Amino acid sequence: MSMPPPPPPNKGKSPQLTPSAPSTSSKSPTLSPPSARSPRTKPLPMTGITPPSQPDQQSQSGSVGPKHVDPEVLADAVSKLDMIRSAPAPMSQVNSPAVTPGASGASSPKLFGIPGGAQAPGGLERLPSHDGKQSVPGTPHFGAQTDLLRTLDESTRVLRQTSKAPSRAPSVSGIGTVVEKPDYSEAKIVVAMVGLPARGKSYLSNKLMRYLRWLEYNVDVFNVGQLRRSKARAAMQTGGGKVDHSATYFSHSNAEASKIREQLANESLESLISWLKKEGNVGIMDATNSTRDRREWIRHRVAQEPNLQLMFLESFCDDPVVIAANVALKASSGDPDYAGMSREDAERDFRKRIEQYESVYQTITEPDISYCRILNVGQRVTINRIQSYLQSRVAFYLMNLHLKPRSIYLSRHGESMYNVEGKIGGDSDLSPRGFEYAKALPALVRDNIGDGPLEVWTSTLQRTQQTGSYLPFEKKTWKSLDELDAGVCDGMTYEEIEEKYPEDYESRDEDKFNYRYRGGESYRDVVVRLEPVIMELERQENILIIAHQAILRCLYAYFHGKTQEELPYIKIPLHTLIKISPRAYGCHEERYPLPIAAVDTHRPKPKGKKGATPSIGAPPAAEEGEGDKNEAKEEFESDPNAARDYFGDKAGKGLGVKPESVSRILEQKVQTGDMAPTAQHESHKE
Amino acid sequence: MAAPLYVTQSGRLFHAGLILIVTVGLPARGKTHISRALERYLRWLGVKTRVYSLGDYRRKVLGGAKNVPPDYFQTKSPRSEATNALRRRIKNEIEDQIMDFYTVQGGQVVIYDANNGNVKNRKDCYQKFESKGVHVIFLESICDQEEIITANIRSVKLSSPDYAGWDAERAVADYWSRIRDQEQVYDTVTADEGPFIKVMNVGERIEVNRIEGYLQTRCCFFLMNIHTKPRTIYFARSGQSLIEHSYKADSDLSPAGWEYAERMKAAVVARRKALREEKRANGEPMTNENPLLIWTSARRRAYHTAWPFVHAGFKVVQKPIMSEINPGVWDGLSTGEAMDLYPDEWDRFLSDPYAHRAPRAESYHDLSVRLEPVIFELERCQDDLLIIGHASVIRCLLAYLVGLPPNEVPAVEIARGDLVEVTPASYGVISRAFHFWSGEGRGDASGENLYENFAESTSGKGSVLPDSGVNFAADAFNMEKEAQEEQNTSKQKLAKSIGKGNKSLLARLNSQSNGNTDGTKSAPHLPPFQENADEEEGRLIKSPGSEINYSSGNEEVLSEGELQDEPQGEGKEGGSLRARAMSILEI
Repeated sequence: MSMPPPPPPNKGKSPQLTPSAPSTSSKSPTLSPPSARSPRTKPLPMTGITPPSQPDQQSQSGSVGPKHVDPEVLADAVSKLDMIRSAPAPMSQVNSPAVTPGASGASSPKLFGIPGGAQAPGGLERLPSHDGKQSVPGTPHFGAQTDLLRTLDESTRVLRQTSKAPSRAPSVSGIGTVVEKPDYSEAKIVVAMVGLPARGKSYLSNKLMRYLRWLEYNVDVFNVGQLRRSKARAAMQTGGGKVDHSATYFSHSNAEASKIREQLANESLESLISWLKKEGNVGIMDATNSTRDRREWIRHRVAQEPNLQLMFLESFCDDPVVIAANVALKASSGDPDYAGMSREDAERDFRKRIEQYESVYQTITEPDISYCRILNVGQRVTINRIQSYLQSRVAFYLMNLHLKPRSIYLSRHGESMYNVEGKIGGDSDLSPRGFEYAKALPALVRDNIGDGPLEVWTSTLQRTQQTGSYLPFEKKTWKSLDELDAGVCDGMTYEEIEEKYPEDYESRDEDKFNYRYRGGESYRDVVVRLEPVIMELERQENILIIAHQAILRCLYAYFHGKTQEELPYIKIPLHTLIKISPRAYGCHEERYPLPIAAVDTHRPKPKGKKGATPSIGAPPAAEEGEGDKNEAKEEFESDPNAARDYFGDKAGKGLGVKPESVSRILEQKVQTGDMAPTAQHESHKE
Repeated sequence: MAAPLYVTQSGRLFHAGLILIVTVGLPARGKTHISRALERYLRWLGVKTRVYSLGDYRRKVLGGAKNVPPDYFQTKSPRSEATNALRRRIKNEIEDQIMDFYTVQGGQVVIYDANNGNVKNRKDCYQKFESKGVHVIFLESICDQEEIITANIRSVKLSSPDYAGWDAERAVADYWSRIRDQEQVYDTVTADEGPFIKVMNVGERIEVNRIEGYLQTRCCFFLMNIHTKPRTIYFARSGQSLIEHSYKADSDLSPAGWEYAERMKAAVVARRKALREEKRANGEPMTNENPLLIWTSARRRAYHTAWPFVHAGFKVVQKPIMSEINPGVWDGLSTGEAMDLYPDEWDRFLSDPYAHRAPRAESYHDLSVRLEPVIFELERCQDDLLIIGHASVIRCLLAYLVGLPPNEVPAVEIARGDLVEVTPASYGVISRAFHFWSGEGRGDASGENLYENFAESTSGKGSVLPDSGVNFAADAFNMEKEAQEEQNTSKQKLAKSIGKGNKSLLARLNSQSNGNTDGTKSAPHLPPFQENADEEEGRLIKSPGSEINYSSGNEEVLSEGELQDEPQGEGKEGGSLRARAMSILEI
């Protein structure tokens, strides 16, 4: 490509809108003669602005005058807007510690290079002045620190008050708003599982449910087995005695049982359909659906409902190792069908049950239905007649799954200078304590993973790359792992935001997941942007992700099936390594807090009105290890997804977490002098 | 810093190493269609990719059908030794070229477009390349519907030089006999041959075997989403906003922007109508009109540009991942300021505007990666689509659809007031641009939002304007007229709904619309500043002189309609401000 010539410097003026900026310092704005102005700066004919299809009641009067707004006020607003348009970039008053020479290298801007021609325009006295000794622009032009943003909002508001256009889209003001959930009402999909017992159908349904719920779809699994078991339990409780659910029940020569099973399946599908019609997006029917007749019957039933899409998902497995593992899991996991049986008997009976199904099993070959057939968890995948983008994403997601044992390690970056100062966003360097953590991290990871392979993913920001810099593993840098963009609030402290925009600040606490910072992102936006990362993560093996609080909250919520309400308040402390190991029905988790002090950046959801603000000097793990451990334990003790849920009512008990010995090892290291927990600031070399 | 996602030391992306995608399939199975689509996608991702077509190479070496030995495609009886030698020579030569692409030209993915219907030949090829460290994947295209195949022969093969000067029916018959011949000896790919992707009837069914690796699975997902149903994709920029040069301010539309939104809706509706007429005139089969779906970013100015559509009951989807390119620390800076404050960054940006990432900013490569899910959804979408976006986003998406190399992405020109229409065709797309608006903010923001509008400085480069012989001005003029009619009808409706009570409003509407007509008639002629731009170094920065030209030029055009309601007193500055304020009151 031939390079475009470097454009000549623009002297800070925007030629289009204000051909000549006011040169006077008087407060009354002076404007250049209109001839020099772009003619269309004038408002355009009404026809263009009033949507023609919208009857405009207000303009029926035909009057041209303002409603309530004094033209002088309006003139002032217009002039202010012009000022803003022509304003040169105001330098932030904030002395950014982000750029310490050396660390940011060539990317740091020239410190004293503010062009002399950039004088503040008159009329906006509160603009920060340039005294030539400015710090670098740590916060850009329209950050909420300066009053420029407020001025803009005010002038737009005045303009809007005068506007007689009928309902317009809501306008911009403040530092952000709660964004409505996107409309998913068109997605109505029945996913019917197909497969023999012990082929990982429930595993796939659960994974799929967690993935889609994380993306805010309303998903539920309708498990025929669970329905059967809960009915049996109810029957037993009402004195009906134990219902026989041994292999004979599943025999296809057992006509009576076959009828009951069919009935149960129908019941399950009916409740799925009525739920989909009411509120659901994706209903997963977890049953064997092993014959062509059965599938034809489902197809027929779903076709009666308008707007419902049907997709079969077959899990086919001919790998004896996988089957054996699944059988063992089933026999030993407390399935009430096998209550009171020995493990061997249970396994034998279960294998017999599988044989009963195998005798009539027909794999999917129907050419006209839409299906996704998975052989040996992702080894081979066939996709037939996929109809919508959501379906193809589901198929792609399932394609990326694998069963190899692995762990995902999550760590925030070490404490950054912005953390110390209580500021959000930015691209600051690590604090001395943060570097301490970065140096301690390799030993901790090695202890854990041994010689196993590991890949390190970081964001593109300095603090995560610095944190990963001592790790001797292959690294990848992901732009999508960058911290939630706080938009106009980037570089501010929560106190500052609260002080300047108290109302906005409160509304963020009301619905933090959906609150989008102006010029920035909401947690939902982050989830959307992380979706490709999740896809890739499912495909990979051992991964250490060094990222940021909001990012890790989103990833963590995916693995643990946390709701959108819980997500923004998940505790991801600094200087703590979180190990997540996917298991058959959920994820196992361990946390290794390192005994290096750091600030606490967690803001709990305010109970009353005021939320806790980040405080410096939270208890470091080494000094108050006991308390810290308890807290950590309490936090991830019972994970509802960790155990198989046999009754569909969360009867399972969490796997629990044994407090690991690693923090003790580290304490020993501290004692022997291998590692120094420094709570004080020390100037850090390099 | 400037490293895009996943660059390895070898300069190859995504840690994927070298990949050879070997197409397998009988003739006229859409192999080339799929190969080209895949190539377009991979190139857009920044992966150095090339299609090597055996057929094209054979034609290059041997020329048209008359030079091909009669037994060249023969399968039933053994071919003569000379022909076999010729076939071997051609095959070896192209495979050498493929190796050359990897080793000398630094390529990463090759799509080897040939029939490869023989299991033994495939095995040889597999071993040959695997032994050189190239990961081989078979991509088989199967089709069991004769009508698809015949349609394919008619649309693609008859124009091939092999059949230059042939009678159409005879050529179709000849081609079918070639297919029948090959069917006899055709072996479908089986699981023990290695990793494969099988595509049945262009995406109806897909079978994937042992596909591993980031890039490979991306290719699968891509193939899962492509289809050949006819549809049209439109692109237009969002309207002018109050504060153009700040990413963070996320400001609302300016009055001109609101006007723009209305005009755009009228233009899109008119254009869709015209396109239908065009199709009817061409005798294409008329089906039900494809519904129109609108995607915007979640930025206010983009969503508000779609506001007229929202009102009219169209489905408008906001996609947060379609936000414009993030300028990072350069937000709100002018070119001069950026150069002064970040001289090193600026130099590096100029040396590689596609891949360079300024501090906290996104590079165009980052943007492409971010937009990837949009590409998949766009491929999957069967409805007509209108994407109201930011210049940077439209650049990336257009570059993908048109198939531009990554380094040209930042230079794609897309001005406000242009409606780009993209229609997927067999080996690519047909794109046309229409001009529907030339008010304030067209080709604008020059020098203000330098990062987003970087390419505005490269006039003419990478332009997607049609060179397909379309009469641009006439099209634009027609569209303007139709848009005008559209507006008038809505106005009549409006007038009716308001009732007879208010004559004055109607009169005002009419008088203004007349003024407007005068203004818009100039639209087919490009506004003066564009002509100036060609003479200047670039459009990013305008000298005050050209600015005045632009203004005065347009003023003449607009004066009649504009000045009607203007209070006098423009001599005094305060008065003019007041006048402007007064006129804003009428919005």
